[in-house]
Amino acid sequence: MNSRARNEAIPIYLALALILLFFALPLFWLLSLSIRTPAEILIAEVRIVPHSPTLQNFVEVLGNQQFLGYLWNGVTLSVVGAACACVAAAPASYAFSRLKFPGKTQLLFAVLGFQMISPLVIMLPLYRYMHALGLTESHLGAALVYAAVAAPIATWTLKGSFDAIPEELEEAAMIDGCTRSQAFLRITLPIGLPGLASTFILTTMLGWSQFIVPFILLSQPDMLPISVGIFNFLGAYTGSATQLVAAASVLSLLPAVVIFLFFQKFVVGALTAGALKE
Amino acid sequence: MTSAVKQGPRHQRSGGGRRGWRFDLDRHPVWWLFPLALLLTAFYLYPVLEVVRTSFTDATLLNSAYSYTLASYRSVLADSALPQIWLATVIFVAGSVIGQTTLGLLIALTLEAGFRRRLPGVRTVQVVVLATWIIPGVASAIIWQLLLSEANFGFFNAMLGLFSLSPVPWLSDAKVAIWSATLANIWRGTALSMILLYAGLKTISPGLYEAAAVDGATALQAFRYITLPRLRPALLINAVIVSVFSLNTFELVMPLTGGGPGRSTEVLALAAYNAVFHDFNLAQGSVLAVLMLLLNLAFTAVYWLTSRGLR
Repeated sequence: MNSRARNEAIPIYLALALILLFFALPLFWLLSLSIRTPAEILIAEVRIVPHSPTLQNFVEVLGNQQFLGYLWNGVTLSVVGAACACVAAAPASYAFSRLKFPGKTQLLFAVLGFQMISPLVIMLPLYRYMHALGLTESHLGAALVYAAVAAPIATWTLKGSFDAIPEELEEAAMIDGCTRSQAFLRITLPIGLPGLASTFILTTMLGWSQFIVPFILLSQPDMLPISVGIFNFLGAYTGSATQLVAAASVLSLLPAVVIFLFFQKFVVGALTAGALKE
Repeated sequence: MTSAVKQGPRHQRSGGGRRGWRFDLDRHPVWWLFPLALLLTAFYLYPVLEVVRTSFTDATLLNSAYSYTLASYRSVLADSALPQIWLATVIFVAGSVIGQTTLGLLIALTLEAGFRRRLPGVRTVQVVVLATWIIPGVASAIIWQLLLSEANFGFFNAMLGLFSLSPVPWLSDAKVAIWSATLANIWRGTALSMILLYAGLKTISPGLYEAAAVDGATALQAFRYITLPRLRPALLINAVIVSVFSLNTFELVMPLTGGGPGRSTEVLALAAYNAVFHDFNLAQGSVLAVLMLLLNLAFTAVYWLTSRGLR
């Protein structure tokens, strides 16, 4: 590295250090609190690595039947919701990718527009009519709303992956006598499987973070997903057992972060595709 | 050649009676769009229309009878708490937009400079920033509550204590709490601005900077006369998206402050929720939801016009 390059690198590294400090420090503080003993929580001292680190808090949280239930409900709701979203979105994305029909651009934009509407706005009337249909306190009812919330972004990412598949393959099949839906099921879907899988993973991650839908539709403790579960943990244990709140939070964000690290390129691409490309 | 292939199946199949009919059915977009349309109609479109209808009634959660009236609009608009709700919402949304855009742009520029020079470690920093954005909103709220807490485990006050400064009532003072919530939202949302603006930076041709360097422009001049103007579309889209996301934020504010102390951090989303699920006043909650909806639609319109202008 010559001296000019070094002179340019120093301010960049300084800036990177500041950025890292702002974004990583809160996470380290959470980790630090999660491995403290109850006594050390109460010491007013800035120490990232505690005097006597312990994994006891994680043992305690994971030994809590209710917390395991929260995790399991979180997995169920986000997986079922994501699957429903993909099933509903796949044929629509195919039509947006392949068919020509009037108003296509406007319709595609309208789908994206749904994402701009706050889930809270729809939850107020939904609570009442789902209550009348017996769909509150029900994982099925909640999963359907998860699916609806995730469907617009699923449509956009799936359309992107179908766009990337050459049309000639389906055309050849249709010349050989396949209908379009047969061509879709036998050719486009199998080839588009990686895109479908990525969309599924993305919508599952969004479902894992979903808060307002289960917060309003579910109230029985054994029905709640992790997002609402740690909110209840917060209410029950802050002050008295903050180390447990911290450990529970670490466990709630760990799956999302791990999956993100594996699929980061795709996740980032998918979430910004609708925003910038159009 | 390609267009001849595309025409092929249509001519071939629309010929015979039953076969042609089946083909048309197969080809018609309605059938393909049906599942998505059903899902979005049942869980988005209908509720949206229903919330508008309910806002013109006096419905409550306690009683199924209701009548049509404008009284709910009158009472919400005359409510002495409304200015406080607007204030909290404007601080939260505007603070988030300004904070996230500034920070996101600085980070995008730093990362870009680092990647361009192939410096080691730049990617790690990028991943850490992105990770904050993938963390569930409730977990972010808990992280910030632990940082801002006025109990002994609160990080910020412990830091202030190191420098013998007096502790700040981050979440218990009505004047401070809304800024604390905004800071937490900036931490959580900056990654999105960074991604959008980084993508915007990548669209600027390096040739422009080379030409400017040949003409003897300083780095600051290049930023002012090349980067900023070229980044305008990305900055606009970023501002719209961050506004919508911040306005719609519920899962961060609710666990962090619950709207308090008093009603100082009760943003529009929280006010609508509280009206319905605390006061059981479905009609007034719907009026507040309609206000949110109108803002959502206005932002979407701006977004549409912006992205149309880009094409």
